[in-house]
Amino acid sequence: MFVLSGYEYLLGFLLICSLVPVLALTASKVLRPSSRGPERRTTYESGMEPVGGAWIQFNIRYYMFALVFVIFDVETVFLYPWAVAFHRLGVLAFIEALIFIAILVIGLVYAWRKGALEWS
Amino acid sequence: MNLAEGVQFVSFIILAVLVIGAALGVVLFDKIVYSAFLLGGVFISIAGIYLLQNADFVAAAQILVYVGAINVLILFAIMLVNKKENYAPIPRRWIRKGSAAAVSIGLFVLLSIMLTRTHWSVDLSVASPALPIETIGEHLFSDYLLPFELASVLLLMALIGAVVLARREEIEGETTAIVGELPAPALELPERPREPVA
Repeated sequence: MFVLSGYEYLLGFLLICSLVPVLALTASKVLRPSSRGPERRTTYESGMEPVGGAWIQFNIRYYMFALVFVIFDVETVFLYPWAVAFHRLGVLAFIEALIFIAILVIGLVYAWRKGALEWS
Repeated sequence: MNLAEGVQFVSFIILAVLVIGAALGVVLFDKIVYSAFLLGGVFISIAGIYLLQNADFVAAAQILVYVGAINVLILFAIMLVNKKENYAPIPRRWIRKGSAAAVSIGLFVLLSIMLTRTHWSVDLSVASPALPIETIGEHLFSDYLLPFELASVLLLMALIGAVVLARREEIEGETTAIVGELPAPALELPERPREPVA
């Protein structure tokens, strides 16, 4: 038994979204002239020539940004019910959410001061 | 207006096929990046199944936490270690494979027994709240306020711990630079190599 309302729009969006790449690729396949030149196999037709392979080791500094992102991503889960029920909760809940965010901003300031966000 | 029974059934079949297919792809693909992206597909399909069970907050949390956080971390970890190397073959591989198979089959048997023994009938007399997320929000900011604020302290601890752990190598590099006379070799990983990686 499905009781949530409004999700038929989600279903419609999903159907249309899944049709878009299929239609775009088939339409271009039907319409485009077929060429067998060497330019066709380049990654960027009129851009830079790619250098080296794509399977490389990335800089470890990216991981710091990922960790900070993950913390604030999990914070979103806690703030989501507050945002949905905002009109029923009032000013006190707003202050409580501000305290919640302020505690996390301390962590962001710590990471900032420690140079975790620097790109030296 | 709600989704009709037939649409729900078809959606469930599609989602189940997606979950099982993507999970098989996670296990069977050779390139670990493909496995990581398909793992994201598994998580998103499971979020769809949660939606069909009327659990929209759990579905949102599933997408935010599993796809947004855990899968991103897995992808970052793969990006950082993804270098093709010829590893030496592990001696006595069949022991590892056999034990993994035993654990998997045991888990499958356990879950099958649980599936057949559980009574799946739902008590429909208990009315579900009209707006589940708003109800969760009201409880979170009235009776569960202290755990809510403690969760932010927990997240703060996780953030500071992550910063300390991830910066440890650089701090060791600094101390050796102070103690030793010669400048210590930088422990940082090189920037993108310009020559093709073999």
